[in-house]
Amino acid sequence: MEQHTVRKSAFRWPGLFAFVVIIALIAAFSWLLLDTILKWSLERTLGTMNGAEVNIEKVEHQWMPLTIDITGVQMTDPRQPNFNRVAVEKINGALNWEQLLLGRFHFEEVVSTGIRVQTPRESAGDVYQLPSKEQVGGWLGEGMETINLSMPSVDEVMGRVDLQTPTAIAEAKASYTEQKARIEAVLSKLPTKEQLESYQTQLQEITEGDVETPAQLKAKQEAFAQLKEKFSADREALKEFKEVAGDAVAELKTQMQRVKQAPQHDLDRVGELMQLNSDGLTEITTVLFGEQARQWADYMLLAYEQLAPMLKRSADETAVQPPRGEGIWFAFTNSDAPPDFLIKKARTEFAIGPTVLDVNWENITHQHEQLGQPTTFRARGENNDLWSSLQLNGEMALTAAGFDARQQWRVQGVNLARTALSERSELAATILSALLDSEGNIALRDSEFDGNATLRLADMVVEASAENQWAAVIAQALESLQRLDINADIKGALMDPDFSLSSDLDKQLGEALKGAAMSAADGELSELKQRLTSQSDGFVGEYQSELTELSSLLTDAENREARLQEMLETKLQDKLEDKLKDKLKGILGNN
Amino acid sequence: MLTLLARLLRALNSESGAWALAIAFVLGMIMGFTPLWRVHNLVILLVALLFRVNLSGFILSFVICSAFAFLLDPLFHSVGFAVLSAEGWQPVGQAMYDSAFWRVVQFHHTITLGSLIISLAFAPVLAVISYWLVSQYRRRIQAWFNRLRIVQALKANRFWAIYSNLRG
Repeated sequence: MEQHTVRKSAFRWPGLFAFVVIIALIAAFSWLLLDTILKWSLERTLGTMNGAEVNIEKVEHQWMPLTIDITGVQMTDPRQPNFNRVAVEKINGALNWEQLLLGRFHFEEVVSTGIRVQTPRESAGDVYQLPSKEQVGGWLGEGMETINLSMPSVDEVMGRVDLQTPTAIAEAKASYTEQKARIEAVLSKLPTKEQLESYQTQLQEITEGDVETPAQLKAKQEAFAQLKEKFSADREALKEFKEVAGDAVAELKTQMQRVKQAPQHDLDRVGELMQLNSDGLTEITTVLFGEQARQWADYMLLAYEQLAPMLKRSADETAVQPPRGEGIWFAFTNSDAPPDFLIKKARTEFAIGPTVLDVNWENITHQHEQLGQPTTFRARGENNDLWSSLQLNGEMALTAAGFDARQQWRVQGVNLARTALSERSELAATILSALLDSEGNIALRDSEFDGNATLRLADMVVEASAENQWAAVIAQALESLQRLDINADIKGALMDPDFSLSSDLDKQLGEALKGAAMSAADGELSELKQRLTSQSDGFVGEYQSELTELSSLLTDAENREARLQEMLETKLQDKLEDKLKDKLKGILGNN
Repeated sequence: MLTLLARLLRALNSESGAWALAIAFVLGMIMGFTPLWRVHNLVILLVALLFRVNLSGFILSFVICSAFAFLLDPLFHSVGFAVLSAEGWQPVGQAMYDSAFWRVVQFHHTITLGSLIISLAFAPVLAVISYWLVSQYRRRIQAWFNRLRIVQALKANRFWAIYSNLRG
């Protein structure tokens, strides 16, 4: 019997139907859940770029034209997980279909409203990438705890001060003993008064006696020569004495002066130490105005602090890892190819208190070299509740070497109302009202900041209170402030800028604190002054007579030298020769 | 899973072609090794459904290979990276990158390209091995296997009941 084998078709047509059903299900699933998928994707991608949890309340899309509406974006601040680095109420953007099919995200225009920085979160956000220690703290140096708000005691200061009065007295005494020994060593070589009298007598005998013969003249000449040799020897001794005694007197006068000045010097030093006891006072501007300046800087440097790190991370393929494994998405782009991500125009509305500041952006991308243009931003604001005028211009570009950017700003007439400077119980200070003008510029080269700014506070009304007397002095000084100019220098790395604030506030406070400390320790300081003055006066009284004696010795030596000099300058030769000539004339004349 | 195994066993013991089973294993392997949400996997799914490929073998192979894929990802990545960064590839990569179609297939992703290359390279080997194993099973093992006491014991449990139900 013939057996027929029915060969089955290679195709399984119901399988095609199943395939269509599966594709339809996937499409329907994606369609229905696209907003949720977009929300998850954005939260994940933005979270990776932000380094901390990002929450999005709602994402909605529209196909024609292709637009995305994002509501309620909260980006956790990795440095303070209880706060949002940025919160945005609403973002709306229209995507270019053609570029999207080529895998490029090109937004024609993006509008984001209700942008706020440093807003508190309902719960702490997860931190994916821990900021370094420098980023967590020390943004503007240490806080109020660096300032010692306790009144210094005289005893504590005396323990630190090295009193100079006893030292000066001891040194002066030692110097006197040394100088006295040197003087005594040369004193014995001096010609006595008797010797000088004897010289005078001998000189009179030589000059006043009759000279009758040339032999007598020669004998007198020889006697005078011998006498002159003695004068010279004695004069050398006197010169040596004068030198030693002169040095001794000068040295002792110096020492005496030091001893007299030492008590005042010591008292000044104690005062300085009492002032310096307020450790870290030089940082007072930073401590008091640093936090507020940080908040202002958050707005001024928003472009850098918020956008730059995100663009930088988005440019780093390794930072945004695909869901599975660690694969890398290669980009085969020409140098003139359109960028993968581009927002051609964006308008961002920053909510600052009751005021909204519009910032207009152009060309937001992480591939500036491909685009050939930097990202630019411009903000203008005139006559509103917060300021009378604000101008901010800047641009930034991500290059192979890092970020290059520059920014200038000028803001005038900022109304500061109830701005807390310090809320510690030891010292609470609040600016009740003030007008702030600020201008500055900042450049970012190879991801390094370099810039400066001035903050001019005028018409200041400050309310300050303190727990103790010492802090009360600071509070009082703050309350007396009417205007203050603060200079801010900005340097350092993009993600770890180093701000330093300086003003003459520390000097003003330093003087006030010194006065207060000295006043408080008045009794103890008077006692110290009395003790030091007594020591100094005792020494001066005791050694003044010694100094007088040395001075008189020196005067005496000078007198003796003058007498010797006078004797030495006697013109014996002519005198004696004249006498001999007269004698010879008389003899010859009589004959 | 038990059902799936039973279906596979049934296929092994049936008159299905050995190549149909081998190709099912290969397609499942490619889909398992490469990232799931890729366009080429839609093509593989279409082939598996449209042609008379054994679906049980396809699904089982996909499940097993998906598990192995996570272990092999570093290998896939390095192969994909080597190819994508090779000097000779650059013009091709450039042309593909400028095309919407090739962008959609996502071959510029290292793991996608690496896993696909390795899967395709291994596909003929797996196909031949699978064919040989199925043939050998049917020729030699099936009868011997059925005579084993343990198999006879297993026939008394639930797995056998499922298997029998499937056989009808």
